[in-house]
Amino acid sequence: MSVSQSAHIHAAIAARNDRSLAAKAIDWIRTRPEGGIAVLFVLVQIACVAGALAFPTSFRYLSEPNIAVLLKSIAPIGIMALGVGVLMIAGEFDLSVGALYSFCAIVAATLSNQWGGDAGAEGASSLAPFGGMLVGLAIGTLAGVIHALVTLRFNIPSFITTLGAMLLWKGATLLYHGAASLRFKPTEPFDTIFDGSLGVVHASIIWFAVFAVIFHFILHHHRIGNHFFAVGGNQKAAVAIGINPTRTKIIAFAIAGFMAALSGIVAGARVGSIQPGGGLGLELVAIAACVIGGHALMGGRGSILGIVLGTCLMFTIQDVLLLLRAPGFYFEMFVGGLIVVAVITNMAIRRKN
Amino acid sequence: MMNASTAKVEVIAPREPRSPGVKPAGTPLLEMRNIVKRYGAFVALNRMNFHIGENEVVGLLGDNGAGKSTLVKMMSGINPPTSGEIYARGGKVALNCRADSEAAGIETIYQDIALVDSMPITRNIFMGREITNRWGFMKHKAMERTAIEILGSAVQISGIDDPEKEVGFLSGGQKQAVAIARAVHFKRNILLLDEPTSALSVRETEHLLGYVRDLKSEGTSSVLVTHNIYHAFQVCDRFVVMSHGAKVFEARKEDTTIEEVTDHVIRT
Ligand SMILES: Nc1ncnc2c1ncn2[C@@H]1O[C@H](COP(=O)(O)OP(=O)(O)OP(=O)(O)O)[C@@H](O)[C@H]1O
Ligand SMILES: [Mg+2]
Repeated sequence: MSVSQSAHIHAAIAARNDRSLAAKAIDWIRTRPEGGIAVLFVLVQIACVAGALAFPTSFRYLSEPNIAVLLKSIAPIGIMALGVGVLMIAGEFDLSVGALYSFCAIVAATLSNQWGGDAGAEGASSLAPFGGMLVGLAIGTLAGVIHALVTLRFNIPSFITTLGAMLLWKGATLLYHGAASLRFKPTEPFDTIFDGSLGVVHASIIWFAVFAVIFHFILHHHRIGNHFFAVGGNQKAAVAIGINPTRTKIIAFAIAGFMAALSGIVAGARVGSIQPGGGLGLELVAIAACVIGGHALMGGRGSILGIVLGTCLMFTIQDVLLLLRAPGFYFEMFVGGLIVVAVITNMAIRRKN
Repeated sequence: MMNASTAKVEVIAPREPRSPGVKPAGTPLLEMRNIVKRYGAFVALNRMNFHIGENEVVGLLGDNGAGKSTLVKMMSGINPPTSGEIYARGGKVALNCRADSEAAGIETIYQDIALVDSMPITRNIFMGREITNRWGFMKHKAMERTAIEILGSAVQISGIDDPEKEVGFLSGGQKQAVAIARAVHFKRNILLLDEPTSALSVRETEHLLGYVRDLKSEGTSSVLVTHNIYHAFQVCDRFVVMSHGAKVFEARKEDTTIEEVTDHVIRT
């Protein structure tokens, strides 16, 4: 019946596409949740590289060992933050990922060692570490599903459910293994796959990159990713239009649990031993990385690029402070400040829009 | 203690409501019989009967809190009844979730809009019904193309020229227009409009009312919930007036007048 009135929309889109690259870049920075942090990240990198070029002997930012260490430090938190970030977009929290990180890694390593997966063991099995890892990942995923079911069945804030779960998994770790550190020197090829290197690039960072790409496609290009945003942004609207929030959130929780387990196992393989208390507090670091990367605490807003940049920026700052021989507490002070500054910047950009 | 609570239940049990009504001619597209909806002790729908026939526009009228939106959400599947029966084309159905109502060919423009502010217009339009390949990955280009087409038809939305704009940045009327455009695009047998014009300009309102009239000839029946009886008289074939969760008046357009309908809305 009605004549199409879309001509002006096509015209407007064409006009926008015709603008200069700079105008498009500014537009991107303004509209994307990770826009502000991307600018900050680039500025920090420029400053660091400039500093390293100006003072090659005293500020060894570009030295190979430094780059290797920096990349290694990013990976475990980055992997964990991918899961935490996806769950945050769906509008929920998981405070237990730090405890799960330890628990799943301990279980995986214990089983691997029992099944003869220790590199020093007689008649070492090459499959045992993979078997242990599979169990660890399954436990992480299952834990996520349980968190989801309890949260959704009883309609309580996930903050509470997973606060309880954090203590539960922490206790379970001590119950299962005790407080001693656990040796985890897996056989080949597991060791190369998770602790090998390509030049300065450690295997763990490659895994982070692989999962970041996978998650990018799931979150921004797959139907389920769209449902995460919808349920986290306005659950009532999502339900009214036919999205099943229970199913969507169970998947998001499961992803967070899976990634927590994966990060624990990857970190354990790199270090060669697992501390039962090693993951405590990491959940807050992961949430901080997401918030710095532009995620909204209330859900519905965020991106994989933001998580990656947030994590990288945090550890770049840690690295710079180490290079400057600043005491460790400066890192926490800086990250604390960074969280607040990042959120203020994001808000300011959005308000201007 | 036991006695007291049993007695209380009897007090709040639905009274037998007056049930005025127009008998459905032929098999209705959708029929609700004896619908009761309770929220705790509160009875939001009290043995409500309602039907939508083929090729008709039904005006659903009534005071604030009469239960119009409760009924609309029930037909949309997101607010199942406490008791009562629902029939789609004569067959008994349960509308327990949105998928059920979608299967019955029902599409809704909700009173509270039901858009996600933090998502772009295109993503909102295709929320839950994304155009994907067989692996579930979205076809962004196809969705954008359709979104542009949708935004240009149905209601002409002033000032929207970017389908990638976040809905949170739109004005109230623009948001409502997006919600309308979405429902109109996916409509099949029945379109439910719950106060769709509350934020629209005069021109856009006229356009939408005209559109509802045209839909009828294309085979889509509508239910129009509105407080504006003049709008209802422009497009509706039948009027149902609700009060306190029950039907208090029902008449075909040719059997009644604006004055009579207005009187029933005000009086009850
Ligand atoms: N989830 C709920 N819990 C409890 N009471 C509710 C709920 N939803 C609606 N009600 C009550 O049911 C009654 C009917 O509400 P409804 O939204 O259907 O009214 P309405 O006819 O659409 O009114 P309006 O014209 O103001 O939109 C109101 O008294 C309302 O307070
Ligand atoms: Mg209403």
